[in-house]
Amino acid sequence: MASVGDSVDVFAASLGREAVTNLSARDATGDSSLVSAAQAGDRLAFGQLYEQYARMVHGILMARVPPGQVDDLVQDVFLVALRRLSALRDISRFGAWLAAIARNRANDYHRQSMSAVEVTDDFSQAEAVSGVSDSAADSEAAVILAAIRSLPEAYREPLILRLVEGMTGPEIAARTGLKPGSVRVNLHRGIEQLREKLAQRL
Amino acid sequence: MDKDYLWDRSGDADPEIKKLEDVLGRLRHNRAAPVFPEMPVRMRRPILTKLLETRWTSAAALALVVVAISVVGSLVRSKQPALGSAWKVTQIQGGPRLESRVIKASGGTARLGLGQTLETDSQSKASIDLDEIGTVEVEPGTRLRVLRLNLELTQLALERGTIHAAIWAPPGQFVVDTPSAVAVDLGCAYTLHVDESGAGLLRTTLGWVGFKLGNRESFIPAGAVCRTKPKLGPGTPYFEDASESFRAALVKLDFERGSVEERNAELNIVLAEARPKDALTLWHLLSREDESERGRVFDRLAKLLPAPPGVTREGILRGDSRMLDLWWGRLGLGDISLWRHWEGSWSAKRGAER
Repeated sequence: MASVGDSVDVFAASLGREAVTNLSARDATGDSSLVSAAQAGDRLAFGQLYEQYARMVHGILMARVPPGQVDDLVQDVFLVALRRLSALRDISRFGAWLAAIARNRANDYHRQSMSAVEVTDDFSQAEAVSGVSDSAADSEAAVILAAIRSLPEAYREPLILRLVEGMTGPEIAARTGLKPGSVRVNLHRGIEQLREKLAQRL
Repeated sequence: MDKDYLWDRSGDADPEIKKLEDVLGRLRHNRAAPVFPEMPVRMRRPILTKLLETRWTSAAALALVVVAISVVGSLVRSKQPALGSAWKVTQIQGGPRLESRVIKASGGTARLGLGQTLETDSQSKASIDLDEIGTVEVEPGTRLRVLRLNLELTQLALERGTIHAAIWAPPGQFVVDTPSAVAVDLGCAYTLHVDESGAGLLRTTLGWVGFKLGNRESFIPAGAVCRTKPKLGPGTPYFEDASESFRAALVKLDFERGSVEERNAELNIVLAEARPKDALTLWHLLSREDESERGRVFDRLAKLLPAPPGVTREGILRGDSRMLDLWWGRLGLGDISLWRHWEGSWSAKRGAER
């Protein structure tokens, strides 16, 4: 049966998937060595994994929980990963595994917090949602972040990883384990919707 | 290769995106790595190998070890799954039963392996630690069996009761059979309930879940629920904040065999009360309603969420699955290629098993 995946693959192929695949493979090899070392008890290797994946975890959380909570939850996610790392059998899936822990931790946060902050369309609530300080630049960042967080879930995460964390599309795909074609499509669709949201705001 | 600044920063910087990067970059992660505690280390060598390396191991001692392992192994093999092929079950409340064993101690644990059944009575609760797959919390009044347990697929059978699953394995690797449909995790968290009649209710709290019986399939994103009935399979998913009349009409369309006039009336209610987010429900109805009614669903859905390029009214009326998938992509609720991939490999496995 034909599926949207086919069209995504064709789209990705037409826009240079080869280069993306090569990048993913190279990163995966290096990361697998670090994961193996960390499983053997090498704390330095785990620290390097933190350096490489902290932005991904930070971005995934920022797409789902109030920014004021994100830094603490990043630490939580890595502590959970550290505890469970020895049970990870397919080390090539470390990134996807860690991303899933981060999404799950965000879910736990909302379950545990009775006063969970709703993702909202109301930009007037942006500063309260953001938890950032009140300078003009921070306020602008908070408004844009609130706009991104009001987009469909599939667009929030890649946009935040790209625009907040500064990761490129190929990096996002390689780190999260998502298909490059899907990331690329979601980035483009997401940015279009973000433009519409911000235009309405202006 | 085309230049695409948004994708990989190639080509000229798009000024609008550059500005967004500059403004949002101040929120970027910038904390140094904390000091992590001691790492739990994976046991790399089997215990027997270590024993053989020790100085005191003599042929007699080795023979004793082999005999002891054989005797003990033969006694427990049928009841106790080996480490690595079973999950830790922890008592939360009351006395959950694993096969014939009752886990009585507060916080007591046991291991649940292939083919085994975990049962909770009206007073007991338990949790199952699925290692790198996720966790499952088992509510009172539940009977759960392990059907498959390997690196590629974990499959449980929920015969009755309620489970809460939080899954961090890749999509498609955690599957729960119920008497009326199969739930396939596409990431990340959901609650599944099965009553005594075998009817079910699935509520997704994060990510999305696929629900399938034969050719009838439903996709349930976070915030949505889906009912299922034996022999009929999954109904049409809907967001829980939809109006009461919308939800009632949907249940009748899904599970009651009303007259043509009655079905028309129910469909009128659903179409009239659908909000933009209820495009989820209308999209599912496109492949379920008769061709005569499908046109009305198409027209309403197209108003709420315009059909993307490549999707035509004629194509949808004749049930073109590629067009349906394209339109699903516009909902922004999940990548349907994950499901198609799972469905393909699942069908192949089932075929190979027959």
